[in-house]
Amino acid sequence: MIITRTWLNNFLDITEVSDDTLYKTLNAIGLEVDNIKTYNIPAKIVVGKVLSCEKHPDADKLNVCQIEIAEGITRQIVCGAANIVEAEYVAVATIGAKLSEDFEIKHAKLRGVESNGMVCSASELGLPPMGDGIMILDETIGELIVGKEINEYKKIADTVIEIELTANRGDCLSINGVARDLSAALNIPMKAFDYESQNQEKIGLARVAKLKTEGEINASLEYVMANLSELKTSLLFTLRLAFIDKLTQNPISNLLQYLTHATGVILRAYDVSNIDVDNEEKLVINIKNVNEVMHISINDKLCAHLGIHQEESSLANESSTKVLFQASYVNPEQIVNVVSEQKLETDELYYNTSRGSEPSLCFGISYLTYLFETYYHSKLFDGSLSIGSEEIEENLITISAEEISKIIGNDIPKIEIINILKALNFKVQTSTEERFGVSIPAYRHDIQNIQDISEEIVRIIGIDNIEAKALKFVEKNRNNNTMKRYIAKKSLRSRAVSAGFDESISFAFADKNLLQKYGFKVLNDKLDIINPITTDLNTLRTTVLINLLQAAKRNVSYSKKSTALFEIGTVFNEYREEKEVLSLIFTGQKESENVSNAGKPMPINFETFVKKLSSIIGNFELKTSFESNALIHPYQSADIIINNKICGYLSKVHPTVCENFDLKETFVAEIDFEALIPQHINASNISKFQGVFKDLSFVIDKEIPYLKVALSIESLKLPLLKKFYAVDVYEDETLGKEKSLSLRLFIQSLEETLNEEDIENTVTLIINKLETEYGATLR
Amino acid sequence: METLKKQINDANSLTELEKVRIDLFGKKGTLSKEFAKLKDVPGPEKKAFAEGLNKNKAILQTEFDARYEKLKKEEIENLLKAEAIDVSLYGNLDEKGAYHPVMATMDKIIDYFVALNFAIEDGPKIEDDFHNFEALNLPKNHPARDMQDTFFFKDGAVLRTHTSPVQIRTMLSQKPPIRMIAPGAVFRKDYDITHTPMFHQVEGLVVDAKGEISFANLKAIMSDFLHYMFGEVEVRFRPSFFPFTEPSSEVDISCIFCEGEGCRVCSHTGWLEVLGCGIVDSNVFDAVEYKDVSGYAFGLGVERFAMLLHKVPDLRMLFEGDTRLLEQFR
Repeated sequence: MIITRTWLNNFLDITEVSDDTLYKTLNAIGLEVDNIKTYNIPAKIVVGKVLSCEKHPDADKLNVCQIEIAEGITRQIVCGAANIVEAEYVAVATIGAKLSEDFEIKHAKLRGVESNGMVCSASELGLPPMGDGIMILDETIGELIVGKEINEYKKIADTVIEIELTANRGDCLSINGVARDLSAALNIPMKAFDYESQNQEKIGLARVAKLKTEGEINASLEYVMANLSELKTSLLFTLRLAFIDKLTQNPISNLLQYLTHATGVILRAYDVSNIDVDNEEKLVINIKNVNEVMHISINDKLCAHLGIHQEESSLANESSTKVLFQASYVNPEQIVNVVSEQKLETDELYYNTSRGSEPSLCFGISYLTYLFETYYHSKLFDGSLSIGSEEIEENLITISAEEISKIIGNDIPKIEIINILKALNFKVQTSTEERFGVSIPAYRHDIQNIQDISEEIVRIIGIDNIEAKALKFVEKNRNNNTMKRYIAKKSLRSRAVSAGFDESISFAFADKNLLQKYGFKVLNDKLDIINPITTDLNTLRTTVLINLLQAAKRNVSYSKKSTALFEIGTVFNEYREEKEVLSLIFTGQKESENVSNAGKPMPINFETFVKKLSSIIGNFELKTSFESNALIHPYQSADIIINNKICGYLSKVHPTVCENFDLKETFVAEIDFEALIPQHINASNISKFQGVFKDLSFVIDKEIPYLKVALSIESLKLPLLKKFYAVDVYEDETLGKEKSLSLRLFIQSLEETLNEEDIENTVTLIINKLETEYGATLR
Repeated sequence: METLKKQINDANSLTELEKVRIDLFGKKGTLSKEFAKLKDVPGPEKKAFAEGLNKNKAILQTEFDARYEKLKKEEIENLLKAEAIDVSLYGNLDEKGAYHPVMATMDKIIDYFVALNFAIEDGPKIEDDFHNFEALNLPKNHPARDMQDTFFFKDGAVLRTHTSPVQIRTMLSQKPPIRMIAPGAVFRKDYDITHTPMFHQVEGLVVDAKGEISFANLKAIMSDFLHYMFGEVEVRFRPSFFPFTEPSSEVDISCIFCEGEGCRVCSHTGWLEVLGCGIVDSNVFDAVEYKDVSGYAFGLGVERFAMLLHKVPDLRMLFEGDTRLLEQFR
C-alpha cells in the first residue's frame, strides 16, 4: 500500500505533522513503513508559460519556443518533445538549475538556434515515469504562477510512503482508510466529505436502466451512469497514479484506480456505449446468484462475476461514450471461500475484495461524482440504482476495562478505552455498568472479539507506553525426553567437533533420481511432494550422505585437500517415517600438512576413520555390512553394532562414486541418532585382586571375521575373563588359507587371588571352544 | 688440602666427580687413610688431630656438595637443551572442527530459555492441516495462508511451515501451566537470496490460568532475551498481525551494523526486524479445548539471528557445508 502526503492531506489535515512523526506513528499503530521518500525538485526549475512554438528551421523534430519563465521575462528554448505543441504551462529548468550532480543547465545552441533552458519531462525531474514527452502542467496541482519554483508545488514534490500491510487490514487498502487510522492515533479529526452534485444530466438513470435480481444477493451494489467525451487524465491523477505505480494509458482505468485507491470502494466500469437510451431502449442489469457467485449481465450479456472477475469485452475504455459505473461490496470471507472452492479465475481488484473493501458505497459514489465534476467536467445521469443494504450489520462485542487491562497487563482506565474506541469510529454503548457493548464499524471485519479490541487499544496507546512486567511462574521440573535428546545431541556434536569434523546443515530435500542412481530407498510415489521447488530437490531425503558428498565436492572445487563434515539431520524412509541420523564424511588427507609428516600426510584410511568415529560415538563393534547402496566399498565397509544392535554403517566410498563427485579417498558413516543416546548405567563391583594378561595366538580360517571369534568366546560367559581383544592379525603364504590371530586376555577374579589352575581352566575353555567351532589351533 | 679441593673442582662431569668422591671419601680413599693414622697419634695430641681431620672433612664435603649441585644442574640443562625443538612449527598440527553458526545460535537461544525453566518440545516435520494451520486459526482459504508457501504431499500432508504445530501438540498432550520452546527445521516454498526452502525456528509458548499472562509479561521477556542475544541494543515493538496471536507484535532491534544510523542491512531504517510475538488467540485455545486460560507465544528465525550475530554475508552459504565459512568458527 502506497500513500502520499498530499493525498493523505485530502482526508486528514496533516500540515502540522512532520514526516518523522508520520513515519513513527504509522509504525507504532502497526502500519509498518517499508520505505519513505520525498521527491525534492531541484531549485531553479519553475513554471513556464509557452507563448509560442515554431518548427526549428534545420531540425524536423525540434521546436523553438518562447517561454515566459518569470513575470515579463521570456526565454527562447529549443524543445525536442512532440507534445510541447499541446502545452500551455510546463516545468522549465532555467540557466543554473542542477538536474543532477553533473548536469547543470547552461546556455546552448541547438543546430544553430539559441536555447536558454530546458523543458522537463517527469523523469528529468526525478519523478517516476509518466508517459512520453514533457510534463504538461495544469491547475490540478494548484494555481499556476509563472516563475514559481516547481518544488513549491507539494503535489509534485510529494512524500511517498510505502506501507507493508498485514493480511487483516483490508480497511487500510485506501488513502481514506490509512487517514482514518492515523486520525485516531494523531488525535486529528477527519476532514468531512459531503459532496452535493452540482451538475447532472437532466435525464434520470431510472428512466433508462433497470435492475433485476435472481436468487439471494449477498452483496451490496450501486450503479450510476455517465455520458463521456474525450476523458483526459489530469496531472494530479497522473502524478499520484505514477507514485503508486498504477498509471495506465486508459483514462477510465486511471479514474477507477484513483477512486478505489482513494476511498477503498471497489469501482468498476462497463462499456454501454451501444445502448441507445434516447430511443427509450432500456438497459437491463441482471444479478443472479449462481452457486453463491453473483453473475452480472447487462442486456443478457454476462459481464462479470461480482468481486472476482470482469469480462474483457465489457471493460470501458477511452472510446466508450457511455459508461455504467458499479460500486460494490462483498463479504471477504464469503468470497474467498467461493473462489477457492470453485477455483475461479480472479482479476487484480479481487485482492482488495478478498481483504475487505470499503462497504460504504454511497461514499464511493459521491466521491466519484465529485471527481467527475471537479476533474473531468463530465455529467452523470441523475440518481442511482442500488441493491443490498447500505447498513451492513455491525458486530457487537461486550467488553470490560478489567478484562482488557488483564490482557494488556497494565491498568487502562475505562474512559481511556472508550475514547480510543470512539476515535476509531467504534460505537460505544456507554453505561455505568462494568461491562459495556461496542459495535464495530463494518469496514473492520477483522475485529471479532475482546482480544482484537485489546489490540486496538495497544496500537493506539503505543506498545512503548506499556510497562513491561516479568511473569511470575510456578517452578517445575521441565527436563523431559526432548531435553534429554537435545543434551545428547549437543554432546555428540561437541565430540564430533573435537574430532575435527565441521558441522553441516543441508536441506532435507533430495533429487529422487540421484537417490535411486546410488541405490538408496526413496519415498513411495503416493507419499511424495506435489509441489517441489526444483527438480534437484524433488523429494525428501532418505540419507544425508548424498548431501555430504555434494558438500565435499564443492569444497574440493575450492581447492580443499581434505574435508570432514558431520550432520545430525532428519531422514525419511519409503513410508515417509522420519528419524534422525548422525552422518559423517571424511575425504582426502588424514591429517593436516605439517612438519611431522613432511607436508605429505597419508590419505584417510579405514583405521583412522574408525578411530575418529569411536572418539565421537564411543564403543562399537563392526561386522561385514549388509548395506547395499552404491556408495559401499565391498571390502572396506561394516555395519556398526552398539548394544548388540545394528544401528548404522561405515564404508570407504566406492571408487566409481568418488570419481562422480571428484573425490579422492573418502569414508562415510551414517548412524541412527536414537542408538547414540546415552543409556543409564549401574556400576558393577571392582575387583581388589591382581589380574593377569595372557596372549594366545591361533591359526584359523582366513574367512572367519574377528567378530565371530569374539561372539563365540563371549558365549562361554567365563566369569574370570574380564576382557579380551585382538592384538595381531598375520597372513602369509606358509599359512595358506589360514591366518594367525593373536588375542590378549585379561583374567581376574572378584573373590580371590588367582591361582595357575584357574587361569589354565579359562584359557583351555577358550582354546577348546575355538577349536570345535572353527578348527582353530594354537600356534 | 688445596690439592684435594682442586681435585674436586677440576671434575667436569658427574662421572669424574664420582671418581673423585671414591678417591676422597671412599673406604680406601684419602680421608680414610688419614683417619687410619689416628690410632698412631699419641694420646694428648689425638683430640686435636681428630678435630683437625673432621674440620677438613667437613670443608671438603661442602666443597664436594657445591660442585655436585653445579654439575647436576649443568647436566639437566644439557639434557633439556638436547631436546630443544622449534615449538612455533607445531601450532596447528591437527584441527578441531567447527559448530555450524546456525546450530551454535540455536544453542545460545535454547540456553536462555532453559535457564528460565522452559521445557524443550518437539514434533514431526511432516504435519497435517489441522496442526499446521486449522488449529492455529488459519482456516482454509484464509488470506494469511498466503504468507506461508507450503510444500504439500499427495496424501494431503504438509511439511510444517513453522514450529507452531508443536504448540498445538504440546497443548493437546499436556495440561496448563505450560512453558515451552520448540526449536527445529521448518519448510517453505521460497528460494532466493533471502529465502531457503528449509530454515530453523524457535517457537515459545506459555499458558496459565485466565488473566495470569499479559502482553506486559511478553514485552518483559522479549526485551530481556534480545538484550541477552545482542547486548546493548534498543528494542522496539510494533503492532502487527499473526493469525494465532492477538494482540500481536513484531519486535525490532536497533541496527547492530550502523547503530541506528541507517545502512544497507537495515534498509536505511536503523531497525532490524527480529521476531514476532503476541497473546495467544482465543481461537487457538478453542481448537485444543482449553478453557479459561491465557498465554503468550513468540517465534523467531534462527538463520536471521545467526546472520546478524556473526555477520554472515550470504544465507545460502549456510546450507552448503562450505568449509571456507565453517572453519572461521573453529
